[in-house]
Amino acid sequence: MKNKTVSRKKPLHKGKVLDTFVVMVYSSKGDDMEKIVEQGLLYDFYGELLTDHQRSIYEDAVFGDLSLGEIAREYNISRQGVHDLIKRCDNSLQDYENKLHLMQKFISIKQKVKEIDELTGNASLSREELAKKMKEIAGQILEEL
Amino acid sequence: MAVKIRLRRMGHKKAPFYRIVVADSRSPRDGKCIDEIGTYDPNTDPSTFKVDEELAKKWLANGAQPTEVVSRIFKQAGIEK
Repeated sequence: MKNKTVSRKKPLHKGKVLDTFVVMVYSSKGDDMEKIVEQGLLYDFYGELLTDHQRSIYEDAVFGDLSLGEIAREYNISRQGVHDLIKRCDNSLQDYENKLHLMQKFISIKQKVKEIDELTGNASLSREELAKKMKEIAGQILEEL
Repeated sequence: MAVKIRLRRMGHKKAPFYRIVVADSRSPRDGKCIDEIGTYDPNTDPSTFKVDEELAKKWLANGAQPTEVVSRIFKQAGIEK
């Protein structure tokens, strides 16, 4: 979905300025999380439970977006080996998530805190309404913990 | 020279943020990138991409290979070769 076109001077990061950075801003249709994003999040929560070798390869695949072939060449192992290793990591990370639900809790609590944040910016609500809604959300968060 | 357009994860733990970068495929782990052509932020709802269309088209025309995720993003953004 196309949102808008902005044309402006925008530094990409420190020390690098593109003089005319014509940027298209798009937003996705709110569909499923990209796989690589989900893998990255799972890794943030449970990555330390993997072995060093697994972590190093998984980071290349998920944080660096490297292809199987590239990783295979870097580590001198077969493509099939890389594929199996990543699959195994995916499975164990997902397994931890199924048992501990840390990521699910994190996402849902983050969402609720965002709701609270939005409520405080809403000027049309009276004090009582605000308090009632806040209490409701607080209850939901406590239940989640 | 094999050149790839790929995502690179920046940002903090549990708050991912990606840059879309153009980098050499032969030394993928050295962290160098030739060019930055945009960003991808999955934290917002819906997630937002910023793509410098001119640069993206230029690199695609020069034969840079986007990774699977990046080509999906380009497709959503309507950028074709």
